[in-house]
Amino acid sequence: MLDSGKLLLAVKDLRTYFFTEEGIAKAVDGVDFEVYEGETLGIVGESACGKSVTAFSIMKLLDYPGKTVGGEVIFKGENLLEKSEEEMRRIRGKEIAMIFQEPMTALNPILTVGFQISEALMAHFKMSKEEARDRSIELLKKVGIPLPEQRVNEYPYQLSGGMRQRVMIAMALSCDPSLLIADEPTTALDVTIQAQILDLMRSLLQGFKGALIMITHDLGVIAEIADRIAVMYAGKVVEYTDKRTIFYYPLHPYTFGLLTSIPRLDLELPRLNAIPGVVPDPLHFPAGCKFNPRCRFVTERCKEEEPSLVKVEEGHSVRCWNVERVSKEAKEGLLVGEV
Amino acid sequence: MNRTLKKLFSNTASLIGIILLFIFVIIALFAPLIAPPLTDDSYQIPRMSWEVNPQPPGFPMSEDIRAIYDYMGVEVRYDKAIFGTAEGGYDIFYGLIWGTRTAFRVGLITVIISVLIGILVGSFSGYFGGWLDEILMRITDIFLSFPFLVAAMVLTTILGRGLDKVMIALIAFGWMGYARLIRGSILATKEETYVTAAKALGVKDVKIIGKHLLPNTIFPVMVQATMNIGSMVITAAALSFLGVGAPVGYADWGQMVSFARNWIIGAPGHAGQYWYTVFYPGIFIVLFVLAWNLVGDTLRDILDPRLRGEL
Amino acid sequence: MTEALLQVKNLVKFFPIKRGVFRKTVGWIKAVDDISFEVYKGETVGLVGESGCGKTTTALTILRLEEPLKGQIIFEGKDLSKIKKSEMRKERKNMQIIFQDPYSSLDPRMKVKDIIAEGMLTHNLFKNTRERYKRVGELLERVGIPAEYMDRFSHEFSGGQRQRIGIARALALEPKIIMCDEAVSALDVSIRSQIINLLKDLQEEYNLTYLFIAHDLSVIKYISDRVIVMYLGKIIEIADKREFFSNTLHPYAQALISAVPVPNPDYKKERIILSGDVPSPADPPAGCRFHPRCAKARKICAEVEPELKEVKEGHFCACHFCAE
Repeated sequence: MLDSGKLLLAVKDLRTYFFTEEGIAKAVDGVDFEVYEGETLGIVGESACGKSVTAFSIMKLLDYPGKTVGGEVIFKGENLLEKSEEEMRRIRGKEIAMIFQEPMTALNPILTVGFQISEALMAHFKMSKEEARDRSIELLKKVGIPLPEQRVNEYPYQLSGGMRQRVMIAMALSCDPSLLIADEPTTALDVTIQAQILDLMRSLLQGFKGALIMITHDLGVIAEIADRIAVMYAGKVVEYTDKRTIFYYPLHPYTFGLLTSIPRLDLELPRLNAIPGVVPDPLHFPAGCKFNPRCRFVTERCKEEEPSLVKVEEGHSVRCWNVERVSKEAKEGLLVGEV
Repeated sequence: MNRTLKKLFSNTASLIGIILLFIFVIIALFAPLIAPPLTDDSYQIPRMSWEVNPQPPGFPMSEDIRAIYDYMGVEVRYDKAIFGTAEGGYDIFYGLIWGTRTAFRVGLITVIISVLIGILVGSFSGYFGGWLDEILMRITDIFLSFPFLVAAMVLTTILGRGLDKVMIALIAFGWMGYARLIRGSILATKEETYVTAAKALGVKDVKIIGKHLLPNTIFPVMVQATMNIGSMVITAAALSFLGVGAPVGYADWGQMVSFARNWIIGAPGHAGQYWYTVFYPGIFIVLFVLAWNLVGDTLRDILDPRLRGEL
Repeated sequence: MTEALLQVKNLVKFFPIKRGVFRKTVGWIKAVDDISFEVYKGETVGLVGESGCGKTTTALTILRLEEPLKGQIIFEGKDLSKIKKSEMRKERKNMQIIFQDPYSSLDPRMKVKDIIAEGMLTHNLFKNTRERYKRVGELLERVGIPAEYMDRFSHEFSGGQRQRIGIARALALEPKIIMCDEAVSALDVSIRSQIINLLKDLQEEYNLTYLFIAHDLSVIKYISDRVIVMYLGKIIEIADKREFFSNTLHPYAQALISAVPVPNPDYKKERIILSGDVPSPADPPAGCRFHPRCAKARKICAEVEPELKEVKEGHFCACHFCAE
């Protein structure tokens, strides 16, 4: 168990659907998690599992045809879903900031780095131009950009991918948000640059009073940075617990499957335990448990009835009918340990 | 493809275009029934009188002309100028009905041949690049530097009067747009991995162009071509109007407008007296061009990848 | 594993940087700069490096989808760098490639059966269409796609299935070597392992040789027999897999290994965080190309370019101090 700080964000049964020509895509259809001050929540899942849509729903940044149709997003005791656009604008950037996967498209190519950081500072804190500029330089220094006095006047295209991501982080930190959402921040980067950015994020978290939500598909990244983990599949959180429990005592067949299917740097594996089948299309999710066509623990019940997210022990919730069987096999089949 | 058809029929504008085109096709196909020819040369517009002045709609065939047909032993199944007659007694209705066939022929043949030349030049230029590209594109530039109508007129004058000469001129100065369009799309498409994959399989260059590149680049050209069919007919009409087009008496819309040239204003004190000489040919040309543009527009909306979102 | 199926000797591939109205060449991107290695029959060689290191260019140049500037590509004793283009087209039957992007690598306007049959048609492998399509069906079943799907278009399939189709297309020619260019990098985690398993099974079944290009060292570790590491157009280390992971010599390779996030909360590792970015291949640093980012760099590293030397049997390294 974690020594949790104050509850910062609670997402309850969040549902966001996309109303497309071909039908309703239930991109997010039952997401529950809590984020406490001072901790990092990792959301892990594959493409189209709804992890990014969850982030955008929290920020209320979705445009037509996407619409949040249900649930609650309680941030510091207030439901964000009931806020007006004007109120959200004050929250975005200042209270909740976001870091995107592709820094090149998230930064405006025709404005200098310094201007883009200052903009938010001037808007939220009524800083003067000079103050904002000084603060920008300070922030660039904090995220490890060499020669910040010079870089502040440069344009995004003059920076490398890693540098741009650092600028994004500086922008996100500029207003001292209490919640930072990072959506696959290192996916587009090379391994050694990813290591730099993760290292930077870890060191920034040291003095960070707020919380971080880290969205990724990479279990390795999750293992390095997260305290608590929500595993998502087909628009739903299927398992939610702390990091060690996820890696040592997974109870959902999907989590278990993922852990034994990936090639490992720390282990010699005879053969990968691939999860059969395809990642489901949000327009055609299967009936019953969304994972049932790919699950090796599947029973008749799984095909008909959808399990709900049940707390099996303190701080460990799972969405599965066959928790006991999975638990037994996971104890024998998992190859994690001190290396 | 089903989606394409569905969209074509669900949009009002395109539906109007399709209906108009359909009517024109019917007119062209059933021309012998709508306006039965009086001589073997069905494209020759029959004259309803020997008068120079146009005659109003409903004018019956004059006795002396009927006498000639009787003498020739021709059964006169067509003896009333429904839309009136143009200068020299030429029947407007007949000219327009049979002119529909001419319009389709001119539009389709010039555009199809121009597209073929454009595809050949553009695909080789884009795919092979280098000096071949330089040469072909400079030639294209030279052709593009002539003003289209003037160049076509000069060439038709040199080649001599006649509809075939008009078409040659229209093709000679009409292929460059397609060549550029195809070249541009091929430059982008040849970077796609499936083209590299085909090369890796050992597929020959010409086959790569034919099987992979053209099927993936042809649609913008089709859209452009569809819209151009109308404007080709207009240009052909303009050439006829200027007197370098179809021979006198040939069923061609441009010819019909050119017949009206001296009568547009009407006699002094009777403004618009001969309105039918301009009105009917004008309406045919406008509707024909409009039909192709509406269809082309919708095709573009359907096929434009930015609007399409997915494949 | 003693017979070299493919030998690459002093391969060089530069791309011109053109500027101005007259497209004057103002510089060169040194994508692949004088590399040599061998691939033995039946093995999997993992070629690893970060973006811009030249690993993809290496594969494309070996297939002569990019023309080499210098060097030899010896395949089964025959120098491919010298033969005519038409002859090279025939050689491609023996050497195939699987691409990274399962979306752009299949022609959207072709049916799956025609995508797979294209190579067979080009090399006249079957007399008639019926036999060809019969073979397409077998290949599809082999890679895990029902044969009756052969009349569909590629956009009706998911990313993993498309990658399977790409594999079937390469297999159709019964090649001896397949270059897997980041073949599993774009796939979802749960799909990636399916494809890796499939590639392994096919290798055993058809006695295939793979040049497996990837940036993910976990995948490289799982699938390769030997590992080649590239940095800025140069090979910096070659070794057997076990030797490579247990006794990494080059400082860059060490940093690369330490940078891989490991899905194990208790995995203790030496964390080497490299400073700075990969320099541009248009203007690589003098001396050792890695020296501006290397923690162990000394004076000589900035002046003399280290050669790829055999330190131990089968273990090559390009560092002035790798013997230490």
